[in-house]
Amino acid sequence: MTVAQLQGTAPRGVHVGSGVWDLLKRLLRRPEGLIGSVILTVFIVLSLAPQLFVGPLQTAVTATAGRLEPPSGAHYFGTDELGRDMLNLTVHGARISLVIGLLATLITVAIGVVVGIVAGFVGGWLDAVLMRITDFFLVIPTFVLALILTPIIRELVGSAATEVFGIRMTLIVIVVVIGITSWSSTARIIRSQTLSLRERAFVDRARVIGAGSGHIMRRHILPNVINLIVANAVLTFAGAVLTETTLSFVGLGDPFQPSWGQLLEAARSSGAPGLGAWWYFVPPGAGIVLVVLAFTLVGSALDDLLNPKRRGRR
Amino acid sequence: MTTARSMSAARSAATVPVDSRGRTLPRQADPGQPLLVVENLRTYFSLDGDTVRAVDGVSFTLNQGEALGIAGESGCGKTTTALSLVRLLPSNAKIVEGAIRYFGIDLVQKSDTAIRRYRWREISIVFQGAMNALNPVHRLRDQIAEPLRERLNLKAGAARTKAGELLELVGIPKKRGGAYPHELSGGMRQRAMIAMALACDPAIVIGDEPTTALDVMVQAQILELLERLRRDLGLSLVLITHDLSVIAETCDRILVMYAGRVAEEGLVGEVFRAPRHPYTQKLLAAFPNIQADRRTLDVISGSPPDLRHPPPGCRFAPRCPFAMEVCTEVVPPEVTFDGVRVACHLYPPGSDGVPVTVPPAPIEAGPR
Amino acid sequence: MRGGYLTRRLASAFITIALITIVNFVLFRAMPGSPERVILRGTPNVTQAQLQAARVRWGLDKPVFPDQFVAYLGSTVRGDLGYSFIARGRTVTDVLAQRIWPTVILFGLGELVAILLGLALGAYTGWRRGGPIDHVGNSVSLILYSTPYFLLGMAFLLIFATTLRWFPTFGMLTAGMQYPDPWARFLDFIAHLALPLATVSLGLVGQYAIVMRSSIVETLSEDYVTTARAMGLREGRILGRHALPNALLPTVSLIAINLGYVVAGAITVEVVFNWPGLGTLAVEALTARDYPVLQGVFLLLGVSVVLANLAADLIYGALDPRVRT
Repeated sequence: MTVAQLQGTAPRGVHVGSGVWDLLKRLLRRPEGLIGSVILTVFIVLSLAPQLFVGPLQTAVTATAGRLEPPSGAHYFGTDELGRDMLNLTVHGARISLVIGLLATLITVAIGVVVGIVAGFVGGWLDAVLMRITDFFLVIPTFVLALILTPIIRELVGSAATEVFGIRMTLIVIVVVIGITSWSSTARIIRSQTLSLRERAFVDRARVIGAGSGHIMRRHILPNVINLIVANAVLTFAGAVLTETTLSFVGLGDPFQPSWGQLLEAARSSGAPGLGAWWYFVPPGAGIVLVVLAFTLVGSALDDLLNPKRRGRR
Repeated sequence: MTTARSMSAARSAATVPVDSRGRTLPRQADPGQPLLVVENLRTYFSLDGDTVRAVDGVSFTLNQGEALGIAGESGCGKTTTALSLVRLLPSNAKIVEGAIRYFGIDLVQKSDTAIRRYRWREISIVFQGAMNALNPVHRLRDQIAEPLRERLNLKAGAARTKAGELLELVGIPKKRGGAYPHELSGGMRQRAMIAMALACDPAIVIGDEPTTALDVMVQAQILELLERLRRDLGLSLVLITHDLSVIAETCDRILVMYAGRVAEEGLVGEVFRAPRHPYTQKLLAAFPNIQADRRTLDVISGSPPDLRHPPPGCRFAPRCPFAMEVCTEVVPPEVTFDGVRVACHLYPPGSDGVPVTVPPAPIEAGPR
Repeated sequence: MRGGYLTRRLASAFITIALITIVNFVLFRAMPGSPERVILRGTPNVTQAQLQAARVRWGLDKPVFPDQFVAYLGSTVRGDLGYSFIARGRTVTDVLAQRIWPTVILFGLGELVAILLGLALGAYTGWRRGGPIDHVGNSVSLILYSTPYFLLGMAFLLIFATTLRWFPTFGMLTAGMQYPDPWARFLDFIAHLALPLATVSLGLVGQYAIVMRSSIVETLSEDYVTTARAMGLREGRILGRHALPNALLPTVSLIAINLGYVVAGAITVEVVFNWPGLGTLAVEALTARDYPVLQGVFLLLGVSVVLANLAADLIYGALDPRVRT
């Protein structure tokens, strides 16, 4: 072993494809990976079947309790200004926040990966143009763009009551807007990895035997950036949850499907902080902090394990 | 604090210890003792809960004015040995046993603060690949002047003048001192690094692969420079390299390391003429020389052992063509024949020590 | 500094600003309902004649490209961003000018405090990595980083304003207050500023500390730090002269790149404390679907962030000799 290896700074071979179990074991061996995974597991279980734990989502109609009651034996987390049980809302909010986060992450990563691989692999003017656009999205305040885009797209698609993946159209618009505005850093990371892969021998071999660009990108580049994609997706998830929360907080959420951000918006606009009703915003707030923290912990642990450039930085 | 006081006391006292070059030594130094004696050094790393025995019982001596080459494949403990000498180890590494005596002073026992007194003023290091060893945001002149100002308390002007002289000494025009590292070629950077290492007039300069990243012509120039400086300044050198030709050209003695232990040690001429340890023989066969045909290059099959779980006996046994049963069970003792120390069961204590030669692997090996 | 680097940076900033302008134009065209309907919104019983007049007034009877685009560019460059719905009769530029200062003060001070505090915390924890302070500092940074700013703000509001009554709950000055002298007015302003400023600073500090810490940790494994250590330099000097300058470089550009992202947090903090800046303006405009104002905010914040990035690039150039050539 060289000194670099002894210090833990040299690459050690881990690959997502070569054993999910091995990766999971390595992840759980790290304290941050373990803590993050435990938190995530709890929230994923809660959001898989919230009605099993707290019954169906309460609405203004089904609410039974008094308004803004502090936590008690009947309502562990207290109630909101409509008399709904905060525990019920928080658990259902987990599902809504996580599903929106997941869908937004999928779109973000998909756009980022396609742009990154195409820019890196094809190169030339296409690369220059794509990277200009990427830089644009990287630098500008994308949140403000999202503020403008969301109502515009909502008015364009109309107020149809259709649901996609059990999510109302209003929130699907948010998902799409987050996807459109957040892919730039993924694209940059994937592009730089693609650039180095393009120089490697196996791509040349593929080209010699007459493989087309599309085939090489799908069959040779993509499997080799999957490590980066996984680590990046987990970190993107944290960002997506935060962005959704923030968009909902400024009034772009859907009161019929309250995410955590929407609950916080309701807490603020009903004056909960001024009334001392801490129980209104602490449960959804804690949910956001824990989930974002957990994704960040797992994401950076995965990044350490999987990203060739970052391995062993800590 | 203590160091500074003891220094001034040492200078003013009548009995200032000085070495053969007339350099002032730390007060506790005994000029009668050898320059550097390393005894049974063990440096272990802890990695993911495992203990890596990177250096595991290494002993050697360096005399004043001598050049010692430490050879071996990468990962056999050469650099860890060198870094141990001035305790520059990463935080997960520790010297668990042994002594490093500099004129009789055991550096292993020094506190973290006290060891600083010995760094650069007594033992300096030229690192490999001088690109990153030089700070990219500072000018050369300032980097060379830094130890002068910080360690020798020179004034800014004097330090700057001295830095210019040092640059000239290693063959860099004084006016290039204003340059940043990235503005220089690899060879120039390595020269600058050497100038830096010489700043405090140390007794020992350790070169850690000082020529590795350079092309052949520049390598030769750097080696020539080191050779000249050693002659002119009376330096003692420890040269760490995997390139045996560098040792053949520059060093008096060679120490071959394998998997954290000494395999063979002796005068360069003696060891190169008649290598005893099978590893030394393989190593010599593995490096090309001008006479030999490239095709005869012998490659040592296999790789060094995992030092978390090293083989119980001789660590080279799994790759050794002569491995006997005893080799896998008993650690070979170090035995000296004609001034050459070798640790191999082929040469047990009391034997005649006549070299047993490894049959060349592919066609014909080309040791000299 | 040689021309190449400066020119490249300037060109890049210019292109980004140009793209922001184009996006703004396209968004305006993409708005649901014909633009003139949007413009005339709020006017009851719009007649065909009124519509036609509006079209001519806004040049919407001409082709989108090049006529409308050129007209749009011209008016944007002149600072004419159209009229606000919510503040009827006032120009967007006028509204923005009124709201920009509270944001500059809150956000500028918040950034300043966060950068100083975050870099110091990050540098220290990175330097003492693995120690108890590192563990605590790193955990705090991570939790702050995971906390939406407005949540922090709501908690502060509840604790320090509602419960402890140390600070006022909203606004920049007490409404309807008659101040005996400018000093009293200033103190009232400071009291209002304290909580939002603390929120912005704390919200940012975690992020900056994390960036700085990882940058320092990476720098400490560089060979030149080993060289400095081998020289027997004091620890403080190794950190101050060798590790810090190099660790600051990536931190400067990361902070700049993150500015655009940080804007989102700033907006929500203003909302929580009813701070009369661009953030509350954006949300008011959003609620009223006042697109000209929203676009004005986007343009203003976008250009500001690009210019801040340009400034950071120039600082980077001054700090790092490698990019100068």
